[in-house]
Amino acid sequence: MKILVLNSGSSSVKYKFFDAVEGICQASGQVERIGLGGSLLHHRRMDGDRIRSGVEATDHAQAIETVIATLLSRNHGVIADKTEIGAVGHRVAHGGEKFTNSALVTDEVKDSIRDCIELAPLHNPHNLRGIEACEQLLPGVPQVAVFDTAFHHTMPPHAYIYAVPYILYRRYGIRRYGFHGTSHRYVAARAAEKMGRSLEDINVITCHLGNGSSMAAIHKGRSVDTSMGFTPLEGLVMGTRCGDIDPALVLHVMGKENLTVSEATAMLNKHSGLAGISGISSDMREIEDEAAAGQERAVLALDIFTYRIRKYIGAYSAALGGIDAIVFTGGIGSNSPLVRARSLDGLDFLGISIDTDMNTRCVGCDAEITSRESRVKVFTILTDEELVIALDTMRIVSSFQQQRG
Amino acid sequence: MAIKRIFIAGAGRMGQGIAEAAATAGIEVDISDIDKSRLDQGMAGIETSLNKAIERWALTAGEKRVILSRIRPVMNIEDGADHDFAIEAVPEDPELKKTVFAGFDEHFGDQTVFVTSTSTLSITDLAGATGRPDRIVGMHFLYPVPHAAMVEVVGALKTSDKTLRSAKSLAAQMKKRIIEVHEYPGFITTRVMIPFINEAAYALMEGVATAGDIDEAIKLGFGFPIGPLELADTIGLDDLMTVMESLFGVLGDLKYKPCPMIRRLVMAGRLGKKTGRGFLTYDSGEDKLQ
Repeated sequence: MKILVLNSGSSSVKYKFFDAVEGICQASGQVERIGLGGSLLHHRRMDGDRIRSGVEATDHAQAIETVIATLLSRNHGVIADKTEIGAVGHRVAHGGEKFTNSALVTDEVKDSIRDCIELAPLHNPHNLRGIEACEQLLPGVPQVAVFDTAFHHTMPPHAYIYAVPYILYRRYGIRRYGFHGTSHRYVAARAAEKMGRSLEDINVITCHLGNGSSMAAIHKGRSVDTSMGFTPLEGLVMGTRCGDIDPALVLHVMGKENLTVSEATAMLNKHSGLAGISGISSDMREIEDEAAAGQERAVLALDIFTYRIRKYIGAYSAALGGIDAIVFTGGIGSNSPLVRARSLDGLDFLGISIDTDMNTRCVGCDAEITSRESRVKVFTILTDEELVIALDTMRIVSSFQQQRG
Repeated sequence: MAIKRIFIAGAGRMGQGIAEAAATAGIEVDISDIDKSRLDQGMAGIETSLNKAIERWALTAGEKRVILSRIRPVMNIEDGADHDFAIEAVPEDPELKKTVFAGFDEHFGDQTVFVTSTSTLSITDLAGATGRPDRIVGMHFLYPVPHAAMVEVVGALKTSDKTLRSAKSLAAQMKKRIIEVHEYPGFITTRVMIPFINEAAYALMEGVATAGDIDEAIKLGFGFPIGPLELADTIGLDDLMTVMESLFGVLGDLKYKPCPMIRRLVMAGRLGKKTGRGFLTYDSGEDKLQ
């Protein structure tokens, strides 16, 4: 079954086209600047053929129409007929408490995604637009929604309820939801595979460190805690997000600086994290360079970033009652030996013994970076959220078709 | 209907504010002024305002670049221009506004909706300067436009329902709460606020309390975020006086007649925040000095 995977953002649509049976990505790309004029398409076929061209994309429907036309294109495409698209898988940011798994898109499912808009106002509306566009463009083709939050639905209440008046949970759904679920699920399963063990038999901590970062405590394959919370702002230090802070400081600063709610929100989301501490950059590569050159605040940013991860590893080891593996993934997790080494520094007592050579050598690849005698294994694994979405889509559509047929 | 492109005549404070707010909402803006140096000042003013937003962490440098890239200073309207809206934001002078509208009528295609930003003049009267009074609507933005959460949308006698709906979708796209008002000088905001400010000025002139204490009493007593005198200083006492005189002229009620204290401050060049001194004193960042 061939599957189109879409990630529809506010002004862009990213796509990957899979032969899901083989698990092979045949083409990928994105349409940028949707609705802004001067829209651009980047398209890449597996054989290396690339195009970059200006396209007309005043809305998501037009952008996705362009994507489909490109997949069909004689010179750059990968399919000869639209009917080869067996299903469409969509990344959807927030599934609230309703979705504990990926779901075949129905009117009811769309309504539920719409109900979650209040929880993810920057993402869900665009995700929904992508789904509606596909209904128009590919009538009759089944669609599946894969939620960033779903994997974490197994968290127990003591991990997801905040110690604020309980009525807020009832009234507004204020609780920990967690994000990056697809990535945490994928890399945990891959780690178990590499260890030659069943995921149901082991405890894993996964660290997805990218522009947004989160960690998850995974007990026998089920997420029991994660560092992002009600929103993606909580937890680790990120490029421009603050992660864990004393909530009182927000109120204090709002009073002192006479900030509005939207100014304070932007301060915590866009001006904090690595960028806020260092005053240099939100990009870990630049922070590492500056820190190596002795720039004081870059050193501090790196210290805070890795200390926070170390603290969470300790906390999650306790929450899980011991661990078998730690996985690093995401842009920083996969590419920064320094961040990995610093995050694991002093954790020998947990049974972690790093193979320094291996760690240093492993940039952007899958590898085990602990020594042979290390009781806890540490892996770097390249995440592939789109592949998970494709596989989920195939699984759900196949079982639906079997039931029907 | 998604609004893509608007034209603004007048690069003064109101024009700058509308341009900034619209561009922030993803709309392409052409802004013009009859005076090239005023246009340059207008663009500089928008940049200053965005820089201030960055200082307050409301915006990132990248976002500022994107917003600025959407605003284009122009000296002339091209014939058959296909903007969704043409907005006049020139000084509150009926003849001037009519001249601007006549120019709009000549250059813009049929699909363009004309907007006046007036707060005191008759929109029906202004609409008479064009051959398409059904396509004219009032949108009274408040200063500072990017921060004011509402806009008064005003239908004139001949404004069509379609035009009114277009104006509402522009307001919605700029994330402003729409308050629909009937055409009457001062609408809600100006009409209610003017006597309020005027009364505070009289209280000061008659020696009831200091300017600071008058503002504090109103702020703390009634939960207002800003006192009437600081509000007057924010608007600018010269602009405030123009509005007052216009309302007084149209409605004839003494409660709109500028308090002599305001007149005196304007004559002394103490125009409010923009000159650093009005009823109160401000630093160069327009923050009130305690």
